[in-house]
Amino acid sequence: MTRDAIKNLILEIIEDIDEDADFDALQSDKPLRDQLDLDSMDFLDIVMELRKRHKLQIPEEDYPELATLDSCVNYLEPLLADA
Amino acid sequence: MHVPLLIIGGGLSGLAAAIRFARFIPDVLLLEQHSRVGGLNSYYYRNNRLFETGLHAITNYAPPKEKNAPLNRLLRQLKIKRQELKLHQQNQSEIRFLDQESLLFSNDFSLFDSEIAEKFPASHNGFRHLIELIDTYDPFRPLPFISAKKVIQKHLQNALLTDMLLCPLMYYGSSIENDMDLGQFVIMFRAIFQEGMFRPGGTIKDLLDLLLNHYSGHGGKIRTRAGVSKILHTDKKIHGVLLESGEEITCDYLLSTIGSEETYTLLGIPSGLKSMPRLGFVETIFEIQAGTPLPLAHDRTIIFYNSDKAFSYQQPEQLVDFNSGVICMPQNFENLPQASFKEVRTTHLARYEEWELLKNNQDDYKAAKETTALTSLPVAEKILGNFAQNIVYRDTFTPLTIERFTAKKKGAIYGNPIKIKDGDIGYDNLFLAGTDQGFLGIVGSMLSGVSIINQHILPRL
Repeated sequence: MTRDAIKNLILEIIEDIDEDADFDALQSDKPLRDQLDLDSMDFLDIVMELRKRHKLQIPEEDYPELATLDSCVNYLEPLLADA
Repeated sequence: MHVPLLIIGGGLSGLAAAIRFARFIPDVLLLEQHSRVGGLNSYYYRNNRLFETGLHAITNYAPPKEKNAPLNRLLRQLKIKRQELKLHQQNQSEIRFLDQESLLFSNDFSLFDSEIAEKFPASHNGFRHLIELIDTYDPFRPLPFISAKKVIQKHLQNALLTDMLLCPLMYYGSSIENDMDLGQFVIMFRAIFQEGMFRPGGTIKDLLDLLLNHYSGHGGKIRTRAGVSKILHTDKKIHGVLLESGEEITCDYLLSTIGSEETYTLLGIPSGLKSMPRLGFVETIFEIQAGTPLPLAHDRTIIFYNSDKAFSYQQPEQLVDFNSGVICMPQNFENLPQASFKEVRTTHLARYEEWELLKNNQDDYKAAKETTALTSLPVAEKILGNFAQNIVYRDTFTPLTIERFTAKKKGAIYGNPIKIKDGDIGYDNLFLAGTDQGFLGIVGSMLSGVSIINQHILPRL
């Protein structure tokens, strides 16, 4: 998967969690949670959707790697190389 | 049979937990001992009509824009759209201490604030400070018991107002006598006064069917009439359960929503929990003709009343204490379709041990139920206006009814006075959710199921 495709995947998952999520002003190097008003319960949905859609097992200690859109892409790029 | 997750109890916390898990991993099995799901919030048929049990109103109302409000978080977590529930807000409710004072409240908090300013002017400033405390308090931080009553009294300097604030919060969710933990008070104050009350447009059956449809849509499985007789375990590791039918089901994780002591019983070990009085309740449903006017309180949704000099919330000495209680008129929500009947529901504190004495004598038990209804009736009429002549049907539930249908120990709807907030009782793969976790009301118990799945189970699979 390309970096752009991974980015779109994350945004698609977030849109699925909150259909009113506003991506226009989203800064890719700032925490997603603060910008999109997501709580830790919503955040778990991102992890679980990645598991469901791409059979990715993300261990709990790696959750901080998913904090910003950029860090998501960096973390997921090698894991989704063949996807 | 083996499943990754097995859930005991098809009440609202079990159903919510099941949906939450099945959204990501469909292999989940929900076990319900009764023939119907819902637990305390269920229904039965009489006179060709459906009667709801449990549900008066749902607390924690929130408008759609408040994303982090418990109701909206819950719906997001379960992927249920608000429109599916068809929410109707309460008209207005009242705390009435007879011959003393009355306070109105609704889903607009400014009404309650202005009522207190008008009727308790000397305490209004203190009330504002109390609100500041509530708005900044973290009720989920683990702390030893702090007396809410003392904190409120310190702010308000008025015993009557303190009791009036506590009365609805205790009746809608306190399992302990005459006081509440401050954290619990904050949760309940937000849920009832600051957020408010609503009900779904349909019956509780429609709500339960909606949840079941979502659950089966994700691929989840359910078995009713499937009582559990034993939890199979070696030390702290759970292997599965033995059903009353003799069948064995193994699992990786077990979630129990049936109560802490009830769970220890299935584990076959003493709970070690201190024994405290469990609060029981009686409820009478009066079905009355649709045209009955109820002139003294025609638009009220819920009235929390007290007719004694001081308010006491404790296990009565006798079968029932009629000095205080809750009167609910379930048709009084905004824009509900006109029904062909009205209901008045009255709830009072009851003593399980006294009812238990009547267990084996059907005639005495029936007579006690009759007396309960006939004593409750004039209390309700004094507050609402006369309606006795328009009653078409009535029925009374006792702590024994609740125990029989929900398996709640001593019929105590709010469970054990001791709460296990994180659902962890020291087992590797068994967790508790529901009433004994300290979350209350329909939204609270459902969030409890969801949060235990999120916290303890999903990240480990």
